[in-house]
Amino acid sequence: MKNKILMFWFIVAVVIVSSILIFVKPTKLGLDLVGGSRLLLEAETTESIAKITPEVMNRLQFAIEQRVNKLGVAETVVQQVGDKRLLVEIPNVTDLKEAKAFIGETAQLEFKKEGKASDGSPIWVSTGLTGQDLSKSILSTDATGQWVVSLEFNAEGAKKFADLTKALVGQQMAIFFDGELQSAPRVNEAIYGGKAQISGGDSGFAYEEAERMVNLLNAGALPVPAKIVEENTVGPTLGADSIAKSRKAGIIGLSAVMVFMILFYHVPGVIADIALIIYSLILFALFKTIPVTLTLAGIAGFILSIGMAVDANILIFERTKEELRAGRNLFTAINSGFDRAFTSIFDSNMTTIITCTILYLLGTSVVKGFALTLAIGVMVSMFTAITVTKNFMHLIFGTGELKHPALFGLKKDEIGQSYEATETKREKARFGILD
Amino acid sequence: MINLTTHKVKVVKYRWWWMLLTTILLVPGIIAMIYSAVTYSNHAPLKVGIDYTGGTILQYGLEQKLENSDVTKTREALEGIGVENPYIQILNVNNTQQENTKSNINSIISIRTKFIEEGSDDADKITECLTRNYDNPELISVSSVGPTMGKELFKNSLIAVTLAFLGIVAYLSFRFRFDYALAAILGVFHDVIFVVGAFSILGLVYNVQIDGLFITAILTVIGFSVHDTIVVFDRIRENLRYYSKKMSFGEIVDASVNQTLTRSINTSLTTLITLLALYLWGGVTTRDFVLCMILGIAIGTYSSIFFCSMLVDFWNDKQQTA
Repeated sequence: MKNKILMFWFIVAVVIVSSILIFVKPTKLGLDLVGGSRLLLEAETTESIAKITPEVMNRLQFAIEQRVNKLGVAETVVQQVGDKRLLVEIPNVTDLKEAKAFIGETAQLEFKKEGKASDGSPIWVSTGLTGQDLSKSILSTDATGQWVVSLEFNAEGAKKFADLTKALVGQQMAIFFDGELQSAPRVNEAIYGGKAQISGGDSGFAYEEAERMVNLLNAGALPVPAKIVEENTVGPTLGADSIAKSRKAGIIGLSAVMVFMILFYHVPGVIADIALIIYSLILFALFKTIPVTLTLAGIAGFILSIGMAVDANILIFERTKEELRAGRNLFTAINSGFDRAFTSIFDSNMTTIITCTILYLLGTSVVKGFALTLAIGVMVSMFTAITVTKNFMHLIFGTGELKHPALFGLKKDEIGQSYEATETKREKARFGILD
Repeated sequence: MINLTTHKVKVVKYRWWWMLLTTILLVPGIIAMIYSAVTYSNHAPLKVGIDYTGGTILQYGLEQKLENSDVTKTREALEGIGVENPYIQILNVNNTQQENTKSNINSIISIRTKFIEEGSDDADKITECLTRNYDNPELISVSSVGPTMGKELFKNSLIAVTLAFLGIVAYLSFRFRFDYALAAILGVFHDVIFVVGAFSILGLVYNVQIDGLFITAILTVIGFSVHDTIVVFDRIRENLRYYSKKMSFGEIVDASVNQTLTRSINTSLTTLITLLALYLWGGVTTRDFVLCMILGIAIGTYSSIFFCSMLVDFWNDKQQTA
């Protein structure tokens, strides 16, 4: 009895800690609930970079991170998925179209010089001077009040630029941004000091255009182009609606299950309901501590795990009832009921955990969320069924004979009917049966 | 001894009837799958959504209620501006469910087109077209899947299901016996065929399309189906230990099924209660997902009680007569 009471206080402690955690920690909600955008970018090879190596991916991730941070939105995520993809998550984005264009832009700045193609027609050829040679760019205006993008080269870039302009005196030099010709000024003299300017050609830059280019240049060019291969955007209205509905469905579902348990199992049903509440508390505390991002699929996994948590209790109660029908006293009936139900609970939960593991390893992020919540739920449910339910059953019913079968939803004349419990000597010792 | 006279369910005695019932449950779905595979252009047994084929879905929330005629109207309007084969769906949202949210969306119009490439202004054109026809459509969600992604997801899903099967067979062979594992897996096939068949029919009749979540639902159904079957098998294993000398195998199977009957039904009921709550009051986006699990859990309970235990008994008989 002493360890039963110790266990009881342990459970109380767990409940208190869980409640505090739930109160203190914020809930991490997925994009489908708060609204936001999930983009999957795929790196593409180019003529100069024929293979996407991890090093290229790291550079791409860094460049995309810089850009996403420039959007000024909190809690963005940029992570590598597989060997050539990046997952970008942006919550609460206001202008998605703008954001997408901003993220996807390669932002490759190139200086080119005049050259001749094999058939003799004039073309622009690369000079080797690119955006990588920049140290920074600034938005400014020129003498006529036009918006221009001022460039400052790094030490190496400044040297390249000086050499280039020296060689090109009297010729045109073209500035390309993402393959588009911006301007092609004539070089009058060699330029030292590592500074240059891009004007928007004849028509000049609009303010937004120039500002965007400055931002992109400062965030750095993408080492390779990245294409959006998958997109999932949920507006904030739909997200709020989903939260409200899931909460309502969860509360209704949980209450209905609790009523069912009391109607069918009477006092043990009440115990199962308390265990269920404790289960939900522990689970939520875990979700917040780990933290698990709650998505719609995750909530579905959680609600399903409630079903499985109840199952453990049902298995145990059905078994205990059978033992009571066989005429056992309360202590041995509860013990053997738990013990015999346990193999079923363990084996069935193990298969669920196996499927969850496979889903988690192979699934997309939506599926992962579902698998994770279900797996955690199943593990916590084993704990609450075995510790909480068993402990409360022993504390409430004690060790005597069953005097009021109605407490278990049994009829008096059922006792000693239909089933004769049999066990080996070892089991008898374990269940505490005295012949 | 176990009292055999009080048994409510007789698995062994009515073996052939249960086989017949199983056939009746499965055949319509199988016919629908074959019909779909023959008639659909991509030869899939189910109507598959953009997650598998690639494409873009734009969803707009509207304050006004829509009617079925709006589907044709919108399709014609979109075809008029050059959108190829748009697929339109209208969801009417019951506004009483929305007291807690600030939104006053009464209907959702969902437009599926081919994959809208980056930089294309098709999405803007569609929004413009809708703005002309309706008051203030609000773009509430966009999902877009590139064509290669769809194929990859399909491949990964198949790998996931196969691995889940192998994992379960391995675990059950280790904990029980190989023939039990086989019976459990056949039970899983039974349940999966039923659910996929049901969705094939829903696809033909109501144009229900399966998405990436469908595979999650199927895997959950697999987990639950095995879960249920294990509880029965665990009881057979236990009873064999105590009564194998006194009772025939068939009697033990029957007794075990009956001993676990209340549990099987109650567990399924509680899970179905939560799922039903999700179906009736939960979000629109997960409705098909929940429906899939409701069907799967209901059939899983049936198969664990009747189908799998019947198989185990059937094999045992064959072994003894052979």
